[in-house]
Amino acid sequence: MSYVDITLPRLALALGLIAVAIVLSRRGRLGLEKDLLWGALRGAAQLIAIGYVLLLLFNHERPWWVLLLLSVMVVAAAVTAARRVERGPSRRVLFPRALAAISLGALVALVPVFLAIVPLHPWYEAHYLIPISGMMLSNAMNVVALVFERIFAAASTEADQIEALLALGATPRQALARQVRATLRAALLPTINGLLTVGLVALPGMMTGQIVSGTPPTQAVRYQIVILYQLVAVAAVSGWLAAAFARRLLFTGRAQLVLPPRIGL
Amino acid sequence: MREGRRILDGASILVRAGEAVAIEGPSGSGKSSFARALATLTEVDSGIVLLDGRDVHELAPTDYRKRVAFLAQQPAMFAGTVRENLESGPTLHGKALDPAKALALLESVGLDASFLQREARSLSGGEKQRVALARALANEPEVLLLDEPAAALDPVAGGLIVALIRQLARGGLSVVMVTHVAGHAQALGGTRYRCERGRVLRAGQAEE
Repeated sequence: MSYVDITLPRLALALGLIAVAIVLSRRGRLGLEKDLLWGALRGAAQLIAIGYVLLLLFNHERPWWVLLLLSVMVVAAAVTAARRVERGPSRRVLFPRALAAISLGALVALVPVFLAIVPLHPWYEAHYLIPISGMMLSNAMNVVALVFERIFAAASTEADQIEALLALGATPRQALARQVRATLRAALLPTINGLLTVGLVALPGMMTGQIVSGTPPTQAVRYQIVILYQLVAVAAVSGWLAAAFARRLLFTGRAQLVLPPRIGL
Repeated sequence: MREGRRILDGASILVRAGEAVAIEGPSGSGKSSFARALATLTEVDSGIVLLDGRDVHELAPTDYRKRVAFLAQQPAMFAGTVRENLESGPTLHGKALDPAKALALLESVGLDASFLQREARSLSGGEKQRVALARALANEPEVLLLDEPAAALDPVAGGLIVALIRQLARGGLSVVMVTHVAGHAQALGGTRYRCERGRVLRAGQAEE
């Protein structure tokens, strides 16, 4: 197994790519220079840190350390997904729901695969568990954030429709059905599009990484297929749960629509 | 109560079967909140709504709202045709709307069969109000609550809607109409209440 070693000076050279974007941002007056620089540095710092954490973890593979890292990842995903949603409830209200939606979605996608398709020995084998879980959590995070964002926005702009349905005797589920459907379709589309373009346009990260570091491409693609299917499952389950939680927040027990700022006071 | 402010206090009305009631008052007097509270679309902090002597909290909200229809000031049309809009109430309750019934409903609000296939959202304000009325009637309610049904319409269309509502009340439907136009309250016929600074007071009987 051989790969080209990236030395630190060479890594620093890659910042030139960010510089290109910064120059364009300046010329186009996009005002993104600070964000670009901060994002580039923060992303690098986070990755370098996780690199050392993983190194440490691989050398001292203990179930508690693996579980601790997974928990940190889940919480970080939930915090991000529960970011202040415009016209939605507060972060404090959304966080536990994001946490539940993300964890349950990830569990559904991960447990069967690690039991039957890529069996782990021992079960906490960090080489597989951490990167694959990370991909699931990040997809779940994006889907949940999108579902929250869209559903509360739709409920607020289409409140008169929803109330008209309630006035006709609709249950909250019936009254919000159209908005839930549209939201879930939008949330699942990127993942489905990923399935359609993979290999044609995009060579996904995990596969690329495996190939670069020497795994035979034929095996790398099998891993990638499993992962793509897992991403579909995680998006479906997490999205569906997030929509169900949002619906419960939007209606009282007496089937009345409650819109922010009144929800989750 | 909203943001700690009492919107309504000491508001009480009695509506008998087949009775027409008008609640009039200036905007901001709390009459719309009162109508929404009667429709159970807004939770009230205190006070009760009784239907046939039963507290609405004993009834499922879906059943209550099927029996007590509510029309907002500018009722939202659902995407699709007028026919689909008329069918929406029965569909929600797992029933189908008979085509003959759909036509009869449309005629009862003064529209003809040509409207069935029209796109509901492309109708004029007055037509929408009529379709919303027919849509509410498709559930065969016992009570009809209307929040300013004529406010968004020009005087002529508004007058026609009020006349139509009066006709429905004569047909045996209990009607509660909230309005800021004294003439409309008068035109409805029946009992009149005035809403002032969150209080609903009986104002008398409209002359026939």
